[in-house]
Parts: sequence; C-alpha cells; structure tokens
Amino acid sequence: MRVRGRLLAIAAVGITTAVATPFAASAQQQPDQQVIDKGARLYATGCSSCHGSDGGGVEIKDGGAGGPSLQHAGAAGAYFYLSTGRMPAASSTEEPKRKEPAYTPEEIDALVQYVASLGDGPELPRLDPANADLAEGGEVYRANCQACHSASGSGGALSYGRAAPALGSATPEQIAAAVRVGPGQMPVFGPDTLSKKDLNNLVRYVRYLDNPEDPGGLPIGRTGPIPEGFVAWMVGMVAFIGLVLWIGTRAPIPSRKPKEEQP
Amino acid sequence: MLTRRLARWIDSRLGTAKLARTVLNKVFPDHWSFMIGELALYCFIILLLTGVYLTFFFDPSANLTTYQGSYEALRGVEMSEAYRSALELSFDVRAGLVMRQIHHWAALLFLASIVVHLARVFFTGAFRRPREINWMIGVTLLVLAMFNGLAGYSLLDDQLSGTGLRIVYSITLSIPLIGTWITSLLFGGEFPGPDIIERLYVIHILLIPAVIVVLLTAHLWIIVRQKHTQFSGPGRRENNVVGKKMWPTYAAKALGLFFLTAAVVSFLGGVFQINPIWIYGPFDPAEVSSASQPDWYMAWLDGALRIMPGWEIRAFGFEIPNPFFPGVLLAGMTFTLLYAWPFLEARVTGDYDEHHLVDRPRQRPVRTALGVATLSFYTLCFLGAGADVLAQTFGLSVNAVLWSFRIGLLVLPPIAGWTTYRLCKELAARDGVPVASQVRMRDIPRRLRRGSNAA
Amino acid sequence: MTAEKGASACFLVAMLAALGLAVVYWQGGQNQLEGILLAVTSGGIGCGIVLWAKHYMPGEEVSEEREPLASSEEDIEAFRRDFEAGETSLRSRRFLLASATGALIAFGGALLFPIRSLGPRPGVGLKRTPYAPGNIRVVQADGKPLKPGELPRDGVVTVWPEGHVDAPDSPTLLIRTRASQDFQPVAGREDWTVDGVVAYSKLCTHVGCPVGLYQAEVGLLLCPCHQSTFNVLEGARPVFGPAARSLPQLPLAVDDDGYLVAQGDFSGPVGPGFWDRDR
Repeated sequence: MRVRGRLLAIAAVGITTAVATPFAASAQQQPDQQVIDKGARLYATGCSSCHGSDGGGVEIKDGGAGGPSLQHAGAAGAYFYLSTGRMPAASSTEEPKRKEPAYTPEEIDALVQYVASLGDGPELPRLDPANADLAEGGEVYRANCQACHSASGSGGALSYGRAAPALGSATPEQIAAAVRVGPGQMPVFGPDTLSKKDLNNLVRYVRYLDNPEDPGGLPIGRTGPIPEGFVAWMVGMVAFIGLVLWIGTRAPIPSRKPKEEQP
Repeated sequence: MLTRRLARWIDSRLGTAKLARTVLNKVFPDHWSFMIGELALYCFIILLLTGVYLTFFFDPSANLTTYQGSYEALRGVEMSEAYRSALELSFDVRAGLVMRQIHHWAALLFLASIVVHLARVFFTGAFRRPREINWMIGVTLLVLAMFNGLAGYSLLDDQLSGTGLRIVYSITLSIPLIGTWITSLLFGGEFPGPDIIERLYVIHILLIPAVIVVLLTAHLWIIVRQKHTQFSGPGRRENNVVGKKMWPTYAAKALGLFFLTAAVVSFLGGVFQINPIWIYGPFDPAEVSSASQPDWYMAWLDGALRIMPGWEIRAFGFEIPNPFFPGVLLAGMTFTLLYAWPFLEARVTGDYDEHHLVDRPRQRPVRTALGVATLSFYTLCFLGAGADVLAQTFGLSVNAVLWSFRIGLLVLPPIAGWTTYRLCKELAARDGVPVASQVRMRDIPRRLRRGSNAA
Repeated sequence: MTAEKGASACFLVAMLAALGLAVVYWQGGQNQLEGILLAVTSGGIGCGIVLWAKHYMPGEEVSEEREPLASSEEDIEAFRRDFEAGETSLRSRRFLLASATGALIAFGGALLFPIRSLGPRPGVGLKRTPYAPGNIRVVQADGKPLKPGELPRDGVVTVWPEGHVDAPDSPTLLIRTRASQDFQPVAGREDWTVDGVVAYSKLCTHVGCPVGLYQAEVGLLLCPCHQSTFNVLEGARPVFGPAARSLPQLPLAVDDDGYLVAQGDFSGPVGPGFWDRDR
C-alpha cells in the first residue's frame, strides 16, 4: 500500500509540474478565443456524449451514457476533473477514480477555458504558497475536512460504498479547486464560508499532511489505534511469545494417565 | 562480604533467613505458557517506571493556552495545558517522546499479555478449585487495566481522546435512572465538563495503579501459597509440584525475561510511532476525524456500538437509549460471565475437587468449544470497530461490512464452537488422550438449572 | 562459539549500547536511536542472563510435595475456640453492639455526602441549548453571521448561536441542498428552512459525535464514529447504524438585515439519549 502510494505521489508531482505551470500562466491572461475554440473541438469529441453538445448534461437512462450539466462547473470544476484523470470517466454510474490524465496539459487548458465560458461556475482559485500559514490551515482542515478525509489525510469510508479519497496525491491547484467545486459526494465550500485566505492556508496544510514530521519513527499510517493494535499483536505479542518459547521449556506434554481421569 | 553482613544485620532484626530460604527453594513448573502472566507483570513495571517520568512533564489542566512550541503546524493554536504539555513532552523534552511511546506500547502489550494469560488459564482449566479466587482477582486486574488504559489515552486532550471521552460520557449517560447523575458527578457537569482531565489524572496515576499493585501482590502471593499448576507427565501428580528451583535458575530466567520485555517495548517505542497527537490536533467538541477508534482493548466495545442495530426502548416518556445495550449490558454480562465461569463450570460438571494438574484443551472439548465460540464473538466485535477502515482498505461498502458483522455475530460463534468441538475430539482420539469431559452440550442448560446431580 | 562467550558478548553489547545511548542523549537526542539503543541494552542483558541460566545454572527438575491447603481440623477448632471466647464478651452487650453497628453505618452514609460536591444536579441543561430564547443569529466559528445566499448549493458549514461560539451542545450544521434534490420537510416544520438552507444539530443522537460527513450527492449525513447515517432530505431521519432518533432540527428564519437566525431551540434535546429525555 505504502509503496503504491509513494509511486502515485511521485507520478502526481510529475504531472503537476507539467500541468500546473502552463495553466497558471494562462489563468492570468484574458480568455483567448483560439484556445476556447480548440477546447470546444476537444469537448465535442471527448465530452459531449455524456455532458451534451452545449454542456447542458444528459440524463442517465437504463445504465446508458449520461452526465451532469457543466454550466456551473466552471474552470475549477473542469480543471479538477480533467487534471486528476477522473474525466473522461469509463462509466456514467460509477464514482470516477483518480487516474492518469487523458489529455495533455495544453488540451486540459483549452477544455478548462471552454467549460469556463459555458456558465458561471467557480474560477480556479489563486494560491499564494509563500504567505500560507501552516497552523491556521490545520485549523481549517480539522474543522472542515478531517471528518471525511481523516486527520491524517488518508481518506475514509462514506456510506454505501462511497469513499473520501486520500489526499496525498492531490496538487495544490487540485485541492483548491475541489474545495470550491465539491466534486462527487464532497460538499461545496464557497468563499463566504471558507475565505480565500483560509483556502490558501488549508492547501499548505493538506500538502504538509502528505509528508509530515514523524518524530516517533515509522508512521504506520498515522491513523492511530488500528495499525497500532496490529503492530502490538503482530510484532510485540509475537516477539513476546517467541521469547517465552525460547526461555521456557517446550517439552511435549504427555497425555494424562487414564487413572487420573476426571469426570 | 558486605552483602553477608547486611543479610545478617537484617536477619538479626527481622529473622528473615528461614523465609528467604523457602523462597530460594520454591519450585516452579517450567513451561513456556506459564510465563505469559510474567510478561504482563513486567509490562506493568515498565508502565510504572515510564509513567513516573511522564508525570514530571505532563500538566493535567483544561486551562486554555496558546501553543508556542517547536511544532510549526500547531504554533499559535489555542489548546488546553494538558495537550500543550503533551506536545512539549513529545517535541521539546529530550527523550520525552521515546518514553511516551514506550509507555503507550507497554500499555497495549500489558493488556495483550493479560488477555493471552487469561486464555491460557481458561483453556487449561487452571481456574478450577482451589484457584477461583485468583481467577477473580485476575479478571478484576483485566478490568482495571482496561479502564486505566482508557483513562491514560484520554488525558492528552487531543481530538481522538476527546472523542473517546465523549463516547464514554454518552454510554454512562444511557444508564437508566442514574446515568445523568453519574455523568454529572464524574465529569463535573455536562460534557466536556470542566474537571474531567484533572480527575482522570488522579484516577490514572494514583487510584487504579494503587489498586492494581495491591491486587497484583495478592495474585502473586496466592500463586506462592497454592503453588503453581503443572501439566501431567512422568512423576507429576496432583499432590506434588515438579519444576526448577527459584534460585538460581528460575530467578535468572525471570530477570532475563524482564529485560527482554523491556527490550521489545523499547524497540517498539523507538521504531514505531504511536498516537501521533500532533496530527489529531487539540480537542474541539464540534470536530471529529473519520476512522476514530479506541485502543485495541476497548475496540470490542466500540465495535459492539457500531454493530448494534438502531433500536432503543421508549415508553411513557422514558427511554433506554441504544448505547446502553452494547455499552453497559454487553460489557456487564461479559465480566459477570468471566467472574462466574469457575462456579458455572463446576456446577455443570459436578467437579468440585481440587485440581493441580491442568488440562490440555483437547481433553475438554466442551469448555474449549465454548471458549473459542466466545472468543470468536469478541473478535468479531473487535473487528467491527474497524468497519470503516476495513471498508476503505478493501473497497467495500461500510454498510455491507457492518451487516456482515451483524449476521456474523449470530452465525460465526456456533460454527467456530462446533468446529472446535469436533477438532478436539479428533485430536484427542489421534493422540490417544482420554477425553475428560463427559458433559454434552445439550445437557448444559439443565445442569446449570439443577446442578450436575440431575444428569 | 560457546554459550559463555555468547552470553558475555551479549553483556558487552549491552554496555556499548548504554554508552551509545548516553552519547546520543548528550548530542541532543534522537528518539529512534534512543529507543533502539535502549532495546539493545536491555535485550543484551536479558539474552545474556537467559543464556547463562540455560547453560550454566542447575537445570534438573526437582519435585516438591504439595501440602494440603486447608488448615487441619485442630487448627480450625483452636481458632474457633479463641474467636468465640472473645465473641461472647461482645454478644453479652447486645445493645452496645447494635448501636455501634448503627453508628458505623451512619458514618459510611455521612461519607457519601461529599461525593455530591463533584458535580451539579443534572437538569434542563441537557435539554436546552443557548438557542432557546429565540431570534438568535447563527454565526460561524469566527463569529461572522451568514445570509442564506452565502452558502452555496451542496454547501455545508458549522455554526453556533451568536455569543456562544464553541458551546459544546450547540454546534449546528447548515446545509443547502441541491435544487434537484427532493427535500421533504417534516410535517409542521414547513417554515423552518430558508431558501433551501436547513439546520440540524451536529451532535449524533447515538453517542454525540459530531456528524461531520455530508455526502452532498445523496443528501446523507454520516457519523464517523459508529456509522449512523441520517437523511438530510427527510428531516435527518436515521437510515442506517445504531442511532435511533433523527437529528434535532433548528427552526431557521432571516432577520431584518437578511441574516440567518434561529426562531427558537432545536426540535428536541441534542446529542445522546438519556433516561428522562422526553419528560
């Protein structure tokens, strides 16, 4: 589990540097009609079958293809889903999972700008890592996020087979976008309940949680009693039993003599 | 020379030589499974030693302060003095964290050793006359150890421990008639209560440890008085005890085991991070993290709370809330049954004789089967506490997992019991070991009602 | 290697590790090294002693007779005689004995009274929250009041009664459901929501954990402690898990300035159940 998590994290870092840089640059520019047109072409081939030719959504019928309207998805929504590879999804009914993005960073940029032009969804939040306060971010995280994603950011089970994902592989931009968009089961946190400053701090804390200080040694998940109990029994108690087997005698116990049999 | 003079000095005042010689020549049957209780004893000694060290730095106060220590991710956060001092102990006191971690691992292993020791005594029938009193003292020690563990991890006032205390509060609150009074007196008011940390501190470092020390002394004194049980074998009879003399072999082995126990918990304390309270943050009654579990020895109760369907009893404006059934009733029945077991078994078997030769589990298929069935019940409850983590780890629905536990609790114990029963019979037959118990499962209820003579 | 050499090697390793521990501590300390060196020190001593015991201490088994545990009949008889000799002198003063017993019982009873000082009488505090007076604004953790429009669709925020932020019994979840979701108000609570914003107590009716997991897509609140699940669209009715009662709802309204207020207290006592909750 840990090894795979690490690999994902490394892969994600690679993707971020590739994706985020051009996007961050373009976010500051005025919408470029050429890029939007390119996005529209990509949209028509890759997305319209589920989200409708005008982004108005297609109702899911009998397990067929369909998807929600994108009019309120905004740049943040499009960026989150495309850059985490959750879209395009293989199935209309299953919860989309994080995977390798299907589009290049330039294509994602074009699609994001196109989807943003469709309606009034949230913009991609601007982040200012240099001025983020780690401790305040932790307070925001514990108040709003740990209930689902757990105090350690390792994710958690929701009801009926749903799950809040682990946050380790999320990039700062993806975290910020997810907070404003509320993808899937996640609630939406708007600027009036979670300010830009809060968000900026929060992103720093979530990134910190991916690789926090572990002064105590092997982190064993940082989720507390379950892995700890496992280690206590599987390492501690096994060692204890090994020790007493070594120290005490292990002579086979002969069977009880019939004359001493008890009723 | 000096020791001899000292011994003589003491003896001339207390006359200890005769007693000391008896101790030196005390015979202990040597079998690995008889040393598990010792492991618990040594864990307790390590808990006392590390615990005293921790008290020098811990400040059990709910007063609010602002953290200014060296852990950046909490600097400037408002928190209680208790949590702040626990952070300081972890980050700024040299060797503080390793002591705290050794203390916590030793606590987990203290309980684990007690449970394995209890299982050993149960499955070998070592609780039978004349050892019923020591069995009951042992069960009491288990209960005290559990509560002291709970009190200990609840002291730090981090998010996880606060959540645990809230659940303790609510379970206590659910007791009919007196629940609201008990919680108010224990917590000093409504949850979270102004006084609970100070009170838990006194309970954790003084009250329960003192009782444990007294009962442990009694437990050991009774073992010396009654002499240890032994497995049957050549030259071993009900009226003798065969083994190694206390001095020097057994004493050396025991001392060696103490150091080795210390080595295991020190290794765990140094290498495996336990209870990273800085990740959990200070307790806030409006917050909770997903995957909140108690330490393993309380997990069976937490699991029972999760597995319990949403039923409660309401009539005439009064109610028996849901947590009462798994939290109070199940726990109460569990320990009542444990206390009563030696007497129940004697009533069913009609065997009121003294026993100093212990059984092999296969010789007593009915007892072994009932023990395994019960263990499977509590193991399922224990696993139920991790339902959300199991669901997440294996990509399952947490609802489906909990439903499987609900069904499993009814189905698995009988299957486990029956399988064990058959297995014991098979093994006994293969080894040519006579099966000692003639009691059939279906006779048990009648024998319990009327005593064994009715059979 | 003989066991003797092995054992003394163990002791030597223990000495070196203890020395190492001192150096590590003196150099500023490092938890992992300290733990491991401590383990090596005590492990070395332990292994050394055990090797010594196994190889060079008398290993032969000796047998000791078990004396009967019960005292001999003469001893019991002697004890009975001595005890009864004293007892008769006590028995002859029956009234004195009875009054002394009474005094001791009274003493025990009197000692119970100080226990009462440990906490206040449980009262209406369990059944009321600071919302009770009515028309109290709901505010966020930083004390900021909210207008209904400030909470986005699918949004959730924890609020408290104004002036009582962090009151342990009054954290409240404000949730704004989706337009497409079929919100069905409980009968008699039709005017308890404002513009799709509904408010429930955040404390689980099972054992009082904050019910923090809102699954916006399906409108379910899940308690992370014991997986009780509440349907936000149907009055926070429990649909799974051990909770047996709905989350109490807070009657919402807006004041003249357009901020959300509570019309009064929750629809019932918040948090875990107790014996006389409904009395």
